[in-house]
Amino acid sequence: MTSQLVPPVEQGQRRPTPLPPRGTKRRSLRHGDRYWAYLLILPTAVGLTVFSIWPAIQTFYFSFTKWGTFGGHEWTGLDNYAQVFHDPELLRSLWNTVIFSVMTLLGIPLSIGLAALLNTKGLRGVGVYRALYFLPVVTMPAAIALVWKLIYNGDTGILNQFLAVFGVDGPHWLSDPATAIYAVGVVSIWSSLGYNMVLFLAGMQSIPGEFYEAASIDGAGPWRQFFRITMPLLTPTTFFVTVITVINALQAFDLVYLMVGKASPAIEESQTVVYLFYAKGILQGDGGYAAAIAFVLLALILLITAFQFRVQKRWVHYE
Amino acid sequence: MNRAHSKTKRTAFVVAAGLAAVTALAACSSSSGNGGGGGDSGPVTISYGVWDDTQGKVMQQIADKFHESNPNITVKVQITPWDQYWTKLKTAATGGAAPDVFWMNESNFATYASGGVLANLSDKLKGSDIDMSNYIDIQTKAYTFDGKVYGIPKDIDSIGLWYNKALFKAAGVAEPTADWTWADMVAAAKKLTDPSKGQYGIVAQSAPQQSYYSTIPQTGGQVISDDKKSSGYDTPEAIKGVQVWVDLVNKDKVSPSLQQMTDTDADTWFTSGKAAMIFEGSWAAAEFKEIPYAAQNANVAPMPKLDQPGGVSNGLGNVMSAKSAHPDAAWKFLQYLGSKEAETAQADAGIVIPAYKGTADGWVKAFPEFNLQVFVDALKNSSQYPSSMNSAAWQDPIELEFNKAWSGDETAAQAAANSAKIMNDALAAEK
Amino acid sequence: MSDRVPATSAVGPKRSHTAIHVVLIVGSVLMVLPFFWEVSTSLKTYAESISVPPTIFPSSPVWKNYTDVFATLPFGAQFLNTVIMTVARTVGQVFFCAAAGYAFARLEFPGRNAIFIAFLSVLMVPSQLFLLSQFQLMQRFGLLNTVTALALPGIFSAFGTFLLRQFFLQLPAELDAAARLDGCNPFQVWWKVMLPLAKNGMLALGILTAIWSWNDLLWPLVVNNDPEKMTLSAGLSTLQGQFLTNYPVLMAGSFLASIPMIVLFVMFQKNMLEGIASSGIKG
Repeated sequence: MTSQLVPPVEQGQRRPTPLPPRGTKRRSLRHGDRYWAYLLILPTAVGLTVFSIWPAIQTFYFSFTKWGTFGGHEWTGLDNYAQVFHDPELLRSLWNTVIFSVMTLLGIPLSIGLAALLNTKGLRGVGVYRALYFLPVVTMPAAIALVWKLIYNGDTGILNQFLAVFGVDGPHWLSDPATAIYAVGVVSIWSSLGYNMVLFLAGMQSIPGEFYEAASIDGAGPWRQFFRITMPLLTPTTFFVTVITVINALQAFDLVYLMVGKASPAIEESQTVVYLFYAKGILQGDGGYAAAIAFVLLALILLITAFQFRVQKRWVHYE
Repeated sequence: MNRAHSKTKRTAFVVAAGLAAVTALAACSSSSGNGGGGGDSGPVTISYGVWDDTQGKVMQQIADKFHESNPNITVKVQITPWDQYWTKLKTAATGGAAPDVFWMNESNFATYASGGVLANLSDKLKGSDIDMSNYIDIQTKAYTFDGKVYGIPKDIDSIGLWYNKALFKAAGVAEPTADWTWADMVAAAKKLTDPSKGQYGIVAQSAPQQSYYSTIPQTGGQVISDDKKSSGYDTPEAIKGVQVWVDLVNKDKVSPSLQQMTDTDADTWFTSGKAAMIFEGSWAAAEFKEIPYAAQNANVAPMPKLDQPGGVSNGLGNVMSAKSAHPDAAWKFLQYLGSKEAETAQADAGIVIPAYKGTADGWVKAFPEFNLQVFVDALKNSSQYPSSMNSAAWQDPIELEFNKAWSGDETAAQAAANSAKIMNDALAAEK
Repeated sequence: MSDRVPATSAVGPKRSHTAIHVVLIVGSVLMVLPFFWEVSTSLKTYAESISVPPTIFPSSPVWKNYTDVFATLPFGAQFLNTVIMTVARTVGQVFFCAAAGYAFARLEFPGRNAIFIAFLSVLMVPSQLFLLSQFQLMQRFGLLNTVTALALPGIFSAFGTFLLRQFFLQLPAELDAAARLDGCNPFQVWWKVMLPLAKNGMLALGILTAIWSWNDLLWPLVVNNDPEKMTLSAGLSTLQGQFLTNYPVLMAGSFLASIPMIVLFVMFQKNMLEGIASSGIKG
């Protein structure tokens, strides 16, 4: 899943020292340049038009149609959108998606903590730790899901057998409607921990050391330094990670598809919006309704992201 | 050293990229290669779409046999796993590119026949080698839509009570017999359940054919009316047919729960010796035989009787695409698939009970370790698998609904009433 | 970022570091445990894999599970499909995005801002919005169940263009000017002067694209349902839930499928982590 967010502008470490002489630049702007520019842009422009921009427009049209069993579609106006608001399955999937998103957000404090530990001065083995925590990020979700299914198995899984040692009778994590979405959420946290940690670590390392030195002189201990210096100065990174995490969580599909699946008694209580989109559009051939669901998702993402940008002024400190 | 290393990497990269381009081109040309031709005079290649891996190999043998007597026609068997088969077929049918000949099941048949995807065989049948009365009657009926034949019956199945001889022996319980009643089975299941060992008497899976589709006919109920216009789920008979299963799970607790059967599938409970009995199909014989523990310990008995004998059979049909580019070759192959020779070959290979009357012996003999005659005998009391024009609209939602009875969230009566409503709404929308 | 210079060591860091190491090691164990369980299970017999209580290590390793992977799945074909898709997407994206990114960063032409905003808008939209239509496009071109369909839409990236544009913006401006005075046209400047300088950015994008492609699930699942034309990710997902899930073989397949990207990660760890830190892309 690529993040849908505009990346932050890079810190200008290697800014060119002398500004380019204006005159040279003007002269270099020969008229033929534009054709070269168009040529360089052409492949990506054509590709994005064919595979993204046009499909988005077409999908918008689809959202007003009903699909026939074997091709063809008829215009049904706003029917699909009317259905959206009365469909208990979709409303439930929206709720599931919200639960899932909130859960994955819980991984953020965890990764900040890890990053802070790794940021300890003079700590040995940072590279090794970082690589180990990052391992799940590069591992195929299909493989991750399968091994966790094995671990979560209510009767033979190692997790319940471990809990049994302490006299706890664990549930059927992935088949119990009460636990499935949380069990999937834990795996999602597990697999993105290292990724967030790397971002936070980079953020912490860009905090100038003088701040800490000054604080040490004032007698501030490590905890006080963390809450008074690290956390406030890290807020731009925290904001950025929060936004990406939410956007990715709202589009969650892989783990629910792989770990719960359509035959599970827990699917209704754990299917996300994108899973429902897939079930309707691809498995059931109800492309019109699926298109409407996709636009509901778009609206949701835009709304939540806009909200986050609006609230950021209250807690994000830019230097 | 570092530099040299990165240079090798780059070279490898370029080679890989070049390779990718070449392979991509090869992939393009091969996919468009067999599209040409058209006329059936020269050698042609037709495709045969199936979903079962084990059967696929036998289908290829049958196709090769066909090729021997029809050297101009080569048949390529395309195997697509069950989960993808219908999505793929639907997409292909939408684009007019379904395989020339392919497998059909009863649930989907009417949808494809009414959608114009399948070739109408009625006219072709006149003066052909095929006589539809050679096939088991419910199968002939199953592949007839609106009075016209769209499919040649391929096989048929039935359900039996598989049991674990070793577990019965260990518990000192007599093995199931042909005159077992449902109460006998419940009593045995109770004796065979041993929570300390994590062992259950029976695994009561919620798959329709292996549960309520089998018991509802035995209580005198119906899943769908004969005219396929209304649901029979809200009758006391049908509710009873569901109740007996739910009781095994929730009242008598002689079966793993629905959640347990989701985490570990029902067949695994049985074949790993953790459940002593299971309602499972004739098709399971070939699969159980491959698992050493099951091959050694499993056997099968007739389903225990509830109120009257009954059950449903599902069977596949071979159909041809209405838009096949080689209709003559496809029809020739279809006739061969329906011939006594080809149907018998399926039985002898031990994969299925053929739909061709009187050819089941080979199948029964293919697995001497199991008492498979049980399944052939069960066919006498079997009725047609419940289906309608758009079965997909109600089958899946109803399975989810009955799951709620299995999990104890709803009573059998509530789930049955909800299912009747789902089904009646869907049936009303078909017209 | 990995080579930070440690400040003059404070007094007695050794003692406090022990506690930190303990926490980090416990965490590492939790991260690695599922991988260990994957490998351990992949070497068990089927019966042992579902035994209660479980065995931590296989009683005697069953290497046959690894050869069985090839009998259960068309693993070889799926592996090749995944490699081709990944290479095509990676090479295509790096090359095309470098071209477009350079044009947006260093050349002036009418409509530059409008086109750039159009690119950016693609970045903001969830990819599911494109899926149904992309699928129909493939269907119309008769490309369903081909390797081409797997790779094609992923070759073009608004994100990659944006990432590399940022990279080109940082390069000293006098470089182009000098090259132009030498008589190079913009294409030559890009090709001969700029691309070598943007190597790190391209490498980061390339690795991220490779990992993202290799692990991608939804699109491969939708366009190709013929097992011979599937990717490993989709192929593995079709195995579960089938009759008698054979966990050891499944784990062997999962492990084999994950290895290439883990190797890539270990090889290019530094570039990759830097790329992530500066861009926030998710693998």
